[in-house]
Amino acid sequence: MATTTPTMNRPMNLGASAADHLDRVDALAKVTGAAKYGRDRYLPGSLFAALIRCPWGSAELLSDNAAEVGKLAGVVEIKISRREGTYHGRDVGYVLADSVVALKRAMNALKLEWKRREVKTRIEDTVKEPPAINEDAKKVLDAAAKKLSAVYSTPVQTHSSLETHGCVVDHRGDSATVYASTQGTFAFRDGLDEALKLKGSDFEIVCEYVGGGFGSKLGGPGKEGLNAARISAARGKPVYLFVNREEEHLDTGNRPSSMTFAELAFENDGTITGGQILTFGGVGVARGGGGCDVPSGRYNFGDLRRAHTDVSFNAGGPRAMRAPGKPQGAFAEELMLDEVALACNVDPLELRMRLARSGNHKEMMKAGAKLIGWANRIPTGTQTGTIRRGMGVGLCSWGLFPARAEGEVVIYRDGSVEARTGTQDIGTGQRTIMGVVAAEAVGINPDEVRCSIGSSKLPVGPGSGGSVTAPNTAPPMRAAALDAKNKLLTIIAKELNVEASALEIVKGEVLRGGQRVMSFKDACQRITGDSITGRSDAAKVDTSGKGHSDGVQFVELSVDTETGVIHLHNVVALQSCGRVLARKTAESQIIGGVIQGLSYALFEQRVLDRVTGAMVNANLESYKILGPKDMPHITPVLWSKGQTKVCSLGEPPVIPTAGAVACAVLNAIGAPVRSLPITPAKVLAALAGVGGKKNEDGGAR
Amino acid sequence: MNSFTYVRARNQAEALSSLKDAKFSLPVFKGGGLDLVDHMKEGLIAPDALIDVRGVRGEGDLAGNGPDAVEMKGEVIRFPAAMTLAQAANSAVLRKFAPVVAMTAGSAATPAVRNVATVAGNLLQRPRCWYYRNSQFNCLKKGGSTCFAVEGENAYHAIFSTGSSPGPCHIVHPSNLAPALMVCDAVVHTVGNADRKEIPIGKLFHGPEKGVTSEHTLEAGELITHITMKARPVSGFYAIKEKQSFDWPLVFACVAIEMAGERIGKAEVVAGAVAPVPWALPAVAAALKGVDPKDERALTEACALAGKGAKPMRDNGYKVGLLSVAVKRAVMKAAGVAIAGEEGR
Ligand SMILES: Cc1cc2nc3c(=O)[nH]c(=O)nc-3n(C[C@H](O)[C@H](O)[C@H](O)COP(=O)(O)OP(=O)(O)OC[C@H]3O[C@@H](n4cnc5c(N)ncnc54)[C@H](O)[C@@H]3O)c2cc1C
Ligand code: SF4
Repeated sequence: MATTTPTMNRPMNLGASAADHLDRVDALAKVTGAAKYGRDRYLPGSLFAALIRCPWGSAELLSDNAAEVGKLAGVVEIKISRREGTYHGRDVGYVLADSVVALKRAMNALKLEWKRREVKTRIEDTVKEPPAINEDAKKVLDAAAKKLSAVYSTPVQTHSSLETHGCVVDHRGDSATVYASTQGTFAFRDGLDEALKLKGSDFEIVCEYVGGGFGSKLGGPGKEGLNAARISAARGKPVYLFVNREEEHLDTGNRPSSMTFAELAFENDGTITGGQILTFGGVGVARGGGGCDVPSGRYNFGDLRRAHTDVSFNAGGPRAMRAPGKPQGAFAEELMLDEVALACNVDPLELRMRLARSGNHKEMMKAGAKLIGWANRIPTGTQTGTIRRGMGVGLCSWGLFPARAEGEVVIYRDGSVEARTGTQDIGTGQRTIMGVVAAEAVGINPDEVRCSIGSSKLPVGPGSGGSVTAPNTAPPMRAAALDAKNKLLTIIAKELNVEASALEIVKGEVLRGGQRVMSFKDACQRITGDSITGRSDAAKVDTSGKGHSDGVQFVELSVDTETGVIHLHNVVALQSCGRVLARKTAESQIIGGVIQGLSYALFEQRVLDRVTGAMVNANLESYKILGPKDMPHITPVLWSKGQTKVCSLGEPPVIPTAGAVACAVLNAIGAPVRSLPITPAKVLAALAGVGGKKNEDGGAR
Repeated sequence: MNSFTYVRARNQAEALSSLKDAKFSLPVFKGGGLDLVDHMKEGLIAPDALIDVRGVRGEGDLAGNGPDAVEMKGEVIRFPAAMTLAQAANSAVLRKFAPVVAMTAGSAATPAVRNVATVAGNLLQRPRCWYYRNSQFNCLKKGGSTCFAVEGENAYHAIFSTGSSPGPCHIVHPSNLAPALMVCDAVVHTVGNADRKEIPIGKLFHGPEKGVTSEHTLEAGELITHITMKARPVSGFYAIKEKQSFDWPLVFACVAIEMAGERIGKAEVVAGAVAPVPWALPAVAAALKGVDPKDERALTEACALAGKGAKPMRDNGYKVGLLSVAVKRAVMKAAGVAIAGEEGR
């Protein structure tokens, strides 16, 4: 996967900054194993805990041998606190042991007799018929030149974080250290005081590295953290509680499934006049959180009736997952548009140019069309060969949300500089970009700044959710760095008997009127104490301004019509993200989003056994994730026209991908596959006409 | 996972005597250990001794010497049981004289797995049925009373049955190598309780109607030492996979042909991932006779017979059509005919 294609519209104020070629600063530590994750913390004298879980979609616990197993060597405690579960993976208690081996033995020896009950496992178990069409919508539909009636569905996608959920809690009586795998260092702290019976200032959350989270590690300590904290507090020993791969799939959240029932009315030229879109979200045992964002607002859909209902069944519930609700909605929306375009014999890109509301999107579509070679797109339904090529396009958008953040920059006498922010790095490159921001403001090279992150003892920062981290932490970090620099320059100014404002630091040199005065290192030696600390003053940090992030993605693929297998060739992903702080980590966010989107489009799905409600693919073998051989060439394009702020980037790139893939498949084979993942079996069924029938208006059904 | 004793057998005698050692209650042979350890981690078996046979040297050498462990004498190819899939895939002898074996070995799993997985282990690995692999489902194969796949999630299960009626267990045989070895008339050589045995590969496996808790016919204590087989220089393999990395085929086919001029004079066809055993397709083989492999229409017609007699389950009907395609493409591979879309991939 080469990603060295030159990016267009390079951010205006970045110029030839070092950050253009800067590698992720902790890359080496991560690939060599030097980086210590929460999971890697084996503390002396530690106890090890595992949660006992319900193995079926719904079951009652009739009997157990906990008393016996509790007597096994090394077993400290077995607690069963519930005697029923309404989803596979529901925790009902825990086992505590003094070694990993003893814990595993106890878990194996534990014999629980469950009585299974009937289950529901899917939205379709509740929504058995297409919902009725609203009277107003009916009027619009009746007056329409053409109509589309279609059902779109998406499966549950699990976050599949490589580092599973959990933490190590070391309670020492009047203080504690918690090594957590979290996306929200401070939310983790705020949720743990009661369980630890300590004040937030008495303990520290440490989260130097996180092995992925994608939203599932946002909401505080969770059951893993709370259990570990309570046990550690009660026993005064470190407690290690990380869930295993199976539990990670079952009970740490997911992207909920969805069904979209669309009844669209449109003109002969593809102008959509309205109709009805009803969506359902499959939220497992949760009551809500199943939103499916269609229509997204990016296109004009006319006079539309719209309603959403969440449907519960026997399965683990959702948690925020990279752009919650958006990819499932975009899948339905983009494919709908291509079906409308096909019915009207209009080029789908042309249709989008007409229906799109934002000028930015239109400009990006034009630029992207050139990069992917849209002019070579073969009209839908005209190919007859075994291998048929297809192109698709999809849009995304994202807002900019405020979050509380502070920064600190410390300049030491020896000339070293430390940037400090408590916010964690879930892979977005926080450690890298904070260093860049601080270095640029001080006037030195990024590799001369050490960045300390991921601790509740450091300045507060947001959870990594909503794509708020970079936009909200960069301004205070810059303010803190400027403050530190000014304090340093004030010392030098006094010595030289000039105004501090007459001095500047450029590339590690203190200058006055453009003339070198001394090196930055020499300047630092004038610090009288050990160091000076620059702080961000919340009142003075400018976080105003708007920074909408838009994106457009193009996908080119081919479909083997004999096997139904899809080969991905190219993805062009244009993404606005405002000012780019470090190009490689920014592009990596786009590439990662695209990969996750492609994987969602073609492979990922939680499979629940419809009889017992148990997840049968709770592993990374049969829960399929895109692999190296499935990877297309991905061209990320950073687009910062008209933006000077640091804008959101983490979530938007995952939104349009699956929709664009579905459109490309339709383009290739002439029939829509309206259900994710697009497997060979579904492609073959579509080709055979199952679900691909034409309705009387000529629209695809 | 349970604790166990690890025994590194240096020769056959050591391997066999360790297996009979009274101090072990459940000793097992270990090749690469991949499937064994997976079973132990899931709590499906708890052997107390793993007897590693990869270092067995001397007479009946299991590991093979030199860079290419494959030997060829006349028409007969011979290789040791502990040869890895990577070695098989890279063997110059196999690539030239039995490409179907090299191709299947090279297509299984991932490079990391192939570097460890052995030939014998691959033949004797247990099925991938997700109910079987999950300790909480006490299905027929594990001594229970239900096959969960029948009512449950059966998209990856069998479309053919070995008995007169489908089931009772609906696994597909997991081994990539087995169908390839079948088209090469391979013989599996064992030592064990009684004497040396030579088992034609087709007789190594049995369907669920002949016992649902095992898939092969070896007796406890039998050690596979090596494989012999015939050269099949015109042979090929084609797998259809959902994912091209780290995935099991939805269906695959192995084909060996003898050409008579431009046409197929004789063919052998065995499919995988469609039945509880490697699935021979004699009717297709017969229909291929006289077909010019460059004539895609004739080829398609002959291969259309592949799905005949299939009794798909609720969610695996798609495999029936795929099978014909896999067979057709395996023939094309064997005959060196280009397959659409494969250029430049
Ligand atoms: C992600 C993944 C994907 C895979 N995909 C494929 C695939 O596409 N196709 C495919 O074919 N395989 C695939 N495999 C399976 C892999 O090829 C097997 O796990 C491997 O071949 C087992 O070999 P082993 O040597 O490790 O066996 P082991 O685990 O060592 O042994 C397996 C069994 O054979 C017995 N045994 C081993 N050697 C001998 C001997 N000499 N004599 C008698 N008994 C013996 C053992 O006692 C045990 O019962 C995949 C595996 C993984 C993990
Ligand atoms: S197919 Fe066989 S292994 Fe799978 S559930 Fe049924 S009996 Fe068990």
